[in-house]
Amino acid sequence: MAEAQIINVSKAFTIRHNKVDSLKSKVIGFFYNRYREQKETLWALKDVSLNISPGETFGLVGRNGSGKSTLLKVIAGIYLPTRGEVQLPDGARIGTMIELGVGFHPELTGKENIFLGASIHGLTRKETQNIYEAVVEFSELSGFMDTPVKNYSSGMHARLGFALAAQLSPDVLLVDEVLAVGDEAFQQKCMKRIDKFRSEGKTIIFVSHSAQDVKNICDRACVLDHGHLMFLGKPAEAIERYHQLLAQQPAVPT
Amino acid sequence: MRSLFRYRELIRNLVLKDLKLKYRDSVLGFVWSLANPLLLILVYSFVFGHILRGGPANFAYFLMVGILPWNFFAQSLMMSTGSIVDNGNLIRKVALPMEVFPIATVLFNLAQYLFALTVFFPMALLFFKVSPSWSWIAFLPLLALHVFFTLGVCLIVSTATVFYRDVRHFTEILLALLFWLTPIIYDTETVSRSLRTVLYLNPFSYFILAYQDVLYHNIFSAFDRVITLTLLTLLSLFSGYTLFAVCKIRFSEEA
Repeated sequence: MAEAQIINVSKAFTIRHNKVDSLKSKVIGFFYNRYREQKETLWALKDVSLNISPGETFGLVGRNGSGKSTLLKVIAGIYLPTRGEVQLPDGARIGTMIELGVGFHPELTGKENIFLGASIHGLTRKETQNIYEAVVEFSELSGFMDTPVKNYSSGMHARLGFALAAQLSPDVLLVDEVLAVGDEAFQQKCMKRIDKFRSEGKTIIFVSHSAQDVKNICDRACVLDHGHLMFLGKPAEAIERYHQLLAQQPAVPT
Repeated sequence: MRSLFRYRELIRNLVLKDLKLKYRDSVLGFVWSLANPLLLILVYSFVFGHILRGGPANFAYFLMVGILPWNFFAQSLMMSTGSIVDNGNLIRKVALPMEVFPIATVLFNLAQYLFALTVFFPMALLFFKVSPSWSWIAFLPLLALHVFFTLGVCLIVSTATVFYRDVRHFTEILLALLFWLTPIIYDTETVSRSLRTVLYLNPFSYFILAYQDVLYHNIFSAFDRVITLTLLTLLSLFSGYTLFAVCKIRFSEEA
């Protein structure tokens, strides 16, 4: 399979002060200047280029607001890059773990949410039936499949979400800091599953604040800061650069 | 289009979810969705038929023929204001063809509409001395046009709400006005000529008139009306789909 290419990607967000999001304020702004919207452009990513080889586990490291999640969403196709482009291998299935259990509805039961959640990721009913048992088993929630998810603890919610995401078997997996939830046993189980993805030869792009995880599972890593690519190379070095950054200046620019 | 087909299961699940949530905890669930049209038919037939002593013959049936399709249209539009905005959390976190949301909205309301029809029509046959006619087969193509017309408008409304949140209130007011500008509870024949021009400026009037042709007057709609409905449907779908396609890439940032 071809590599995933991120070519000179920049992403700008428009920050709106006095945001006009109603027809009413649009009309008022037309007559009264001071109610008019002020726009400011924030570059979340600037000229980022990366090549990620098939089967590679790639870590994205950086402080809060450095652009990691934005880059992940651009790769996932959730955001369109302002400039540059993302080329993914032809026909590759992209899986995202940006939030566990995204799209779950609190009033629906665990079982109903598995079917709903799987279809959100584009699975047909047949495909979902095929993975259903594996999802239930992995989540260790077989006794709660007829319970509405609103009665789940947040740990159970995360377990079900991860169990589902883990069975979607994409070719390229994008993971954003989702493993921070749940207890240690759960986190270990998740890391094991991600390790299994690695051994199956999947490409994984992994956002994490955990130095340990990045060192343990990533083949390469990069450090992002204020949307710029600061470093690209060995995970251990990336973590070192990241720690230097943390020591240097306040995390969020004021 | 191909990806939409791939996500047909999601559309199905979204419709089922809304149906389940609406009816799960109420034993009388489905009955509630009939209460609103039933009440409207009773009130209007009493006020206009008995107090004001007007209205066409077999007035309750006339009302039924207009109110049920109107409810489908109006409720789809109101609900579509939230189709994208209310799914913002999902849209920001998963890449999927966002057309599924307004489509699911229309299909959910279509299910309710069909359910209301299967209850009200047998009642009409029993109590309103209505007899079936060959023209009723034209109901199916008319329904198809009506559904696609509604989908086009819903695509526009769901997109507009992303950028201007008060489109919700605007739609509500517009629908209240449009109800009276559509010949649902009165016959166009009884309306003065100048007022009739206004009715004909309202695209939805043609749909109600066609429903009345087919189900109330028991005739097939005239050729020019069929052409008008087809053109309106194509226009609605084309403009709705185009607007949605152009704007959808910004939904994950704005919704």
